[in-house]
Amino acid sequence: MAGASLAALAAGLAGFRPVRIARAANETSRAIAAFTKGTVPAEGGVLLEVPEIADNGGAVPIRVSAEGARRIAVFADGNPSPGVAVFTFGKWITPAASTRIRLAGSQKLIAVAEMADGTFRTTARPIKVTAGGC
Amino acid sequence: MAKPRPRVKLPKSVSVGVPFTVRTRITHPMHTGLRLGRDGKRIPRRIISRFVVRYNGEETLSVDLERAVSADPYFSFEMAVQESGEMEFEWMEDDGSTYRLSRRVQVKS
Repeated sequence: MAGASLAALAAGLAGFRPVRIARAANETSRAIAAFTKGTVPAEGGVLLEVPEIADNGGAVPIRVSAEGARRIAVFADGNPSPGVAVFTFGKWITPAASTRIRLAGSQKLIAVAEMADGTFRTTARPIKVTAGGC
Repeated sequence: MAKPRPRVKLPKSVSVGVPFTVRTRITHPMHTGLRLGRDGKRIPRRIISRFVVRYNGEETLSVDLERAVSADPYFSFEMAVQESGEMEFEWMEDDGSTYRLSRRVQVKS
């Protein structure tokens, strides 16, 4: 009985997941375009530090940095919604910040930096999450 | 929910132009609005959506947070200053509730 309902639950999840992630991936490119106002960011020039494997998807440590950046946005393309955080660097600060984030499962993290000259840079990192946290 | 409690860690005294680390955290559930409570009802969304740091009134860092930021939002960053001053930290919730903290930074002469 319990086995049957568990199997049904697993089947339900298996059917549900890919749909949600496919939708989220599309949403991610739209969220990035909204941040860059349609500009396609150039690869590199922004550093995104994440663990290769995260045991706890509820609190994954990340660090973003980009020399000469005005703002850095972080996106998670496998979460229910792609936006994570936008950092705006003002006076006195080194353009870098660390935080902890929630990830629903293994996915790709993307950082997009808006540089002082108005151009955009991007970098992406895959991450394995053993227990989701959304 | 217990009242959010902000905490900040930074050196009491710093040297001119030498980078130092600032660590910040506020106790907060960051309810995503996706989870169900014990009663089976959806827990309404409640998050810290903005965090701002100012030094002598000038903005040093601001963060726009989405619900993907973990509970008890934590941020750390490095900065370097030229003169002593007052550092202000401000956390804002979706509904406008604001939590503040300020710290004096002394520059060694």
